[in-house]
Amino acid sequence: MFKNYDPSKFYDEMLESTEKPKNHYKSFYNILANFSNHELYEKHEVAQLSFLRQGITFTVYSGEQSTERTMPFDFLPVIIPTDEWSRVEKGMVQRVKALNLFLEDVYHDQHILDDGIVPRDLIENNPYYYQQQAAGIKIPLDNHIFLAGIDLIKDEHGEYRVLEDNLRNPSGLSYVYQNRFVMRRVFPEFFNQHQIRTLEHQMSLLHDSLKSHVPDHSESPHNPTMVLLTPGQYNSAYYDHVFLAQQMGIELVEGRDLLVRDDVVYMKTIHGLQRVDIIYRRIDDDYLDPEAFKPESMLGVNGLLKAYHKKNVAILNGIGNGVADDKAIYAYVPAIIKYYLDEEPILKNVETYLLEEEQSRNYVLENLEKLVVKNVGASGGYDMLIGPHASEHEIESFRKKIIEEPHQYIAQPTIKLSRMPAFQNNKFYPCHIDLRVFVMSGEKTKVLPGGLSRVALKEGSLVVNSSQGGGGKDTWVIKEGGE
Amino acid sequence: MLSRVADSLYWMAKNIERAENNSRIISTRLINVLEADDSEVIANRDWGEIIDICSSFDDYVATDYTQNPDTVIQYLAFQLENPNALLKSIEVARENAKSTREIIPSELFETLNDCYWASKQVDDKQWNYKDVDQLLKQIIQTSFTTQGIIESSLTRDDSYAFIQIGKWLERAEKTSRILTMMCEKMMEDHVQPTEKFYYECLRILQFVNGHEAFLKKYPPSIKSADVLEFLIVDNSFPRSILYCIEHVQDEISTMEDGQVSIYSEALFTILEKATDDLASISTHDATMLELFDFLQKFQGHCNQIGEIFSKTYYLVDPSLSESYQNQS
Repeated sequence: MFKNYDPSKFYDEMLESTEKPKNHYKSFYNILANFSNHELYEKHEVAQLSFLRQGITFTVYSGEQSTERTMPFDFLPVIIPTDEWSRVEKGMVQRVKALNLFLEDVYHDQHILDDGIVPRDLIENNPYYYQQQAAGIKIPLDNHIFLAGIDLIKDEHGEYRVLEDNLRNPSGLSYVYQNRFVMRRVFPEFFNQHQIRTLEHQMSLLHDSLKSHVPDHSESPHNPTMVLLTPGQYNSAYYDHVFLAQQMGIELVEGRDLLVRDDVVYMKTIHGLQRVDIIYRRIDDDYLDPEAFKPESMLGVNGLLKAYHKKNVAILNGIGNGVADDKAIYAYVPAIIKYYLDEEPILKNVETYLLEEEQSRNYVLENLEKLVVKNVGASGGYDMLIGPHASEHEIESFRKKIIEEPHQYIAQPTIKLSRMPAFQNNKFYPCHIDLRVFVMSGEKTKVLPGGLSRVALKEGSLVVNSSQGGGGKDTWVIKEGGE
Repeated sequence: MLSRVADSLYWMAKNIERAENNSRIISTRLINVLEADDSEVIANRDWGEIIDICSSFDDYVATDYTQNPDTVIQYLAFQLENPNALLKSIEVARENAKSTREIIPSELFETLNDCYWASKQVDDKQWNYKDVDQLLKQIIQTSFTTQGIIESSLTRDDSYAFIQIGKWLERAEKTSRILTMMCEKMMEDHVQPTEKFYYECLRILQFVNGHEAFLKKYPPSIKSADVLEFLIVDNSFPRSILYCIEHVQDEISTMEDGQVSIYSEALFTILEKATDDLASISTHDATMLELFDFLQKFQGHCNQIGEIFSKTYYLVDPSLSESYQNQS
C-alpha cells in the first residue's frame, strides 16, 4: 500500500516505516489494507461530491470574479492517543486562560506593561489595540475569549508546538463536524473498530458558554436573546456561521437586521422589534459599528458600541482581542503564561525572532534562506516568505521589507512540520499537516476533542490554508481505554 | 422571525414556482412545435406570447433578438440579464435558501443546490435541445421535490406561511397571465367564449398542468367557457386563481390567529377585494372584453397584495436589493 512512501525524512504521524504503522494506527491500517485502490478512489470521489452537494463551500475571490469551491477532503484521519490529547487539552486551557487575563489587564490596569514583561509600544502601536473603544469596560465574566482557535503543529521530534493563536473570529468549526459526518458516511467500516471521542453535545456546551455572558442590563437574564452576526452569504466562512447558528439554535443575523434605539440593540422581525442581549459576532472589530470604527462599513450597526458600553448588550469575542493574537505578541505568550499563572507553558511556542531587536534582525537578515518570515498583521498564508523554497528575488524583496518595517515582521526557523499520508490522484503520498484546536470559554473553559486537521495537499507544500490549496482531514481522539 | 428571513423565504418560494411554471410552458411549446403546421407568422406570434408569459416582451425586444426559437430559448432559459430566465430563478431561489439555511430543512437547500449545479453543467451558449429538455425536466422535478420536503418536514409556523404565500401568489399571477394571453388571442380572432377554440384551450391547460384534471371534470370536449371557469373560479383545481388566492388568505389568517389588527388591515382588505371580484365574475355570461378587464384588474390586485404584504411584515425594500426583481 505504501510501497513508494518514505516516512523517514520528517516526523510521520501514521507510519513507523514503509511496512509498519505506529501503534495507534494499527487497526486503522489493517482495515485500510482491505480496500482496493479502485474502492478507495470511489470513496474519495463520493466524499468530495458530498461537500459540494451540501453546499459546504467557501468563496474564492480573484479580482472581479468569484468562484465557489469545496475544501478538498482527505480520508486518512489524524489519530491522537488519549494521553497525548490530555496534554494538549491542559495546554490549551492554560494558554487561553492566560491570554484572557492578558486582555483584561491590557484593557484595564496594564500591570504587565508597567512591569515591563511586554513592551508597551508593542501594544500601543498595534493596529488591533482599540483603547478608545474597549478600555475600562466591565464585560460579563471578564471573559474576552468565547471561542478561540489555536493552531498546533508537530516538530521533527513529534512534539506539539503552538504556531498561532486566533482569538478574533476563528473559522472552521463546522468543518470539524462535516469531516466527521462525511467520514462516517463514506467509511462506516472504520467506526466499528475504533473507540473515539464523539463530537455530539459539544454544541450545547458552546451554547451554554455563550448564554453565560448575560450583560448587566439584560431584561431577561435567564433567557437572553442571542444572535450570531454574520457579514452575509458572500463571506468565505458563511457556512461556518450558518452551522453554528443552527446548532446553537440562535438567530443568524446580518447588520441590516439589527438596529440600536436608545442604546438598546433590537432585531427587526415580522412582528416588530425584538431586544437582543448577546451577540456572537463574526464581523471584524473595525466593521462592527460605523460610528465607532470605519464610517464606510456597510456590515455594521450604528450605535452598537454605545449599547455595549452601557452594558445593554454583550459582544463576543471581545472587542480588541487582536492585540493578543498577533504574531509579535505571540513571542511573549510563554512570558504571559508565567506572569499571570506562575506556570511553565505546557505547550511550547515555535522559536520566534522579533526583528526590532538589532541582534536578532542581523541574524535573520543573514539567514533568510533558512527561515520563515511572516507579516505580523497578515493571515491566511499571505505576505509570507518560506526561505528554503524561495527564489533569490523573493528573499531580496523580504530583506528590503524587513529593513524598511522591522516591526511588521517576525521570523521563525523552518520547522520540519510533521507529515502523514494523503490519498490524492489515486496514490498515497506524504503531506504536511497542522491542527486547529477549538477552545470555548464561559463559566468554564472546554476544549473540543480533536479539532480541524488541515493538510497541505500540494506535494511538498507547507501551506495548509484552504485559500491556498489546503484540505481537511477528520481528527480522532481515542477514548480513554480505547486503545 | 427576522423580516429578512421572511423575505428570503417568500422569494425562494416565488422563484421555485416561477422556474417550474416557465419550464412547463417552454416544454409544452417545444412539443407543440413538432406537430404544428403553422405558417411562420403564426409560429412567431406563438413564441411572442411565450415570451410575454414567461418574462416581458418589451424587455425582450429591447435586446434586439430575433424571434426564432433558438434565441427565444436562449433568452428565457439562459440569459442572466433576463431577471426571469430559468437559470436566474434557480440562482435566486438557491441564494435565498442559502441565506436561510439555519431555518429550512437541509434537504431543501440540497435539492436546490443540486439543481443549481446541474444547470451550471449545461453550456449556456452551445446547448442543444436535448440539454434544454433535460434541464426543464429537472427544474420541474426540483420544484415538486422541494414542495414535498416543505410539506413533510417544515414546522407549520411563520416560515411555512411565508413560503406558501410566495408560492400561491406566484401561481395565481402566472395563471392570470396565461389567461390574459388567451383572451387577447380570442378577441383578436373574434372568438366568443362559447365557441370552440380547441387548440388554444388544450395548450393553455397544458401550460398549467391541468389537462388531465380538466378532462375528469368536463368530459369529453374542451369548451373555452369551461376552461375559463376551470382556471378562474374552480375551487378544487390547485392552480385556479380562486384556489390560489383563497390559500393566500388562509395562510395570512392562520398567521394572524384569525384577528385583523391595525397593521394587517390593509392586507385583509385588498385580499377581500380580490376575492369579491372573483365571486362576481360569471365566466359563462361575460364577454371577452369583460373577462379581459377582469384579468387586468386582478393583475393589479396581485401587485398590490405583494406590496402591502411586504409593508405589513417589514420585508426588505425591493428597491434596495437587486436580487429581488419583480415580474412586471
